[in-house]
Amino acid sequence: MFVERILVLFYLAVCVGIGAYASRKVLTSRDEYWVAGRRIGTSVNTMAIMASLASGGSIIGVMGLAYSKGIPTTLALFAGAVIGFPFASILVARQLRNFGRYTITDFLTFRFPSPVVRVLVPILIVVAFTAYIVAQLKAAGLTANALLGIPYDTALVISTLVFVSYVSIGGMIAITWTDVVQGVLMLIVVIGTAIAVIWRAGSPFELMRQATEVAPELGRLASEDIGSSVGFFIIWATAIPVIPHIVMRVYTAKDGRSAQLSLNLAMVAYSVMILAAVLAIVPVGKLAFPDLADADLVFLRVIESEFPAVIRGVVVAAVLAAVMSTTDALLLACSSAIAHDLLGGILRRNASEKTLAVVRVATAWVVGILALYWALSPPELLSRFYTAGIGLLSAGLFVPTIAGLWWKRANRAGGVASLVVGAGSYALALTGILDVGLPPIVVSLSASALAMAAGGLFGAAETREMCEEIAALHVAEPSGED
Amino acid sequence: MMGLGKNFFPMARGEKVVLAVLILFAAASFLPLTRSVEVAGMALFGWLMAALMVLSPILTLWVFRRGRPRT
Repeated sequence: MFVERILVLFYLAVCVGIGAYASRKVLTSRDEYWVAGRRIGTSVNTMAIMASLASGGSIIGVMGLAYSKGIPTTLALFAGAVIGFPFASILVARQLRNFGRYTITDFLTFRFPSPVVRVLVPILIVVAFTAYIVAQLKAAGLTANALLGIPYDTALVISTLVFVSYVSIGGMIAITWTDVVQGVLMLIVVIGTAIAVIWRAGSPFELMRQATEVAPELGRLASEDIGSSVGFFIIWATAIPVIPHIVMRVYTAKDGRSAQLSLNLAMVAYSVMILAAVLAIVPVGKLAFPDLADADLVFLRVIESEFPAVIRGVVVAAVLAAVMSTTDALLLACSSAIAHDLLGGILRRNASEKTLAVVRVATAWVVGILALYWALSPPELLSRFYTAGIGLLSAGLFVPTIAGLWWKRANRAGGVASLVVGAGSYALALTGILDVGLPPIVVSLSASALAMAAGGLFGAAETREMCEEIAALHVAEPSGED
Repeated sequence: MMGLGKNFFPMARGEKVVLAVLILFAAASFLPLTRSVEVAGMALFGWLMAALMVLSPILTLWVFRRGRPRT
């Protein structure tokens, strides 16, 4: 494992080096730290968005899921996230980029000015994303343990120190640059592996035919999976337009049109990677290793059987890259929810820019260390909540954001009601207190929309000034890029 | 400045069509029929999900490239 460890150490050193270099630019500027100066071009943002979405689950998990639950079920889960990006590019990208602040909370607080919105939105983000970060950290520790032979706790501490270092001092610029490196690495490894196995088999259809002859369940959708597939599809399709680490990417774009293009181009790359993994590598794994006890190991077994040590080292780096490229974006979004959304208003009145910089760095470390503490001995509740965290954000934020941007009668009463009712009903449905026989996300989005409609129809009408300000967000700015 | 009289802010026609097509495509993909028909060893549902993943961003990009920014 010597070669693999050297390659991974080199990769980690590159990440920290990028953070240290970026810190010279970002530490004294809010714009540079949170949104990379709003000048990220389309191609760089494309790769950064792709890498931010592609977590450890997009490499290891997607193939394990397809191996154990079948390819159709797996594709249903990932197609929800992919379709969310065209929705985001049409419904929020240009408008939020024109709004030109830092977070989703900035928009919702502006649109529905209320202490409830100002406090509840960042709290939802911190709760959901902390659970998400803990799950990603666990994936990093397990991967390094399985592939490099490093003890779980040691691997966890090293990977946490590395990504918290470059996020805390390098902000969004460091995340963008490391995400580009990580995204390229992931694409090369997954697509390169798929091309190699297809080359040997002759065609992907031949691979699929052979694999489904031996294991017909690989190509089928189990009827008991329908309800959860629908729920997961809707959660991701509605979460993407409002999920904070993707919204922050919109703010980093140089203009609204660039944001729209990069969201969709990122999904072309992401879809090709996921389909290469599921339609080429998984059938090979099923044929060669039909009885794996741990399905998540299928990709690693294929790599071990097909490639030499140097390639295996690159693969380990790619898996860690997938984990870190998502975790760093989540960490920055979580930090911004605390340092910018919750504390920012108070601090900006009383503190210098230097003090604000110290708070930003300190917040990233506090969140990172708390997540590390929980990942070392994950609380049962936190582990279970992770799968629902994204649903909670979607249930609470989707309707207020979309209605706030598109419905002229959306008002403060409706915004507050839809936020509280959406998040509250999701929590009740998830815990079984509210059970109407539908997926929790369907119940909560419907309740949230009804609350918004009731507030808009029966509450005080929005001012003409607000309507004009929102109308201005829909106007496209001239762009040199097409 | 666009008119403020209607209940919704205006959306480009191409964007409305994309949203409608994607939602209808996704809804149709979940119909029971797509789970019983198999193509090349896999349920039609799986192929439709794969097609949705590739085509949805490409269709949206095509509409964006055709549309001119509203100024």
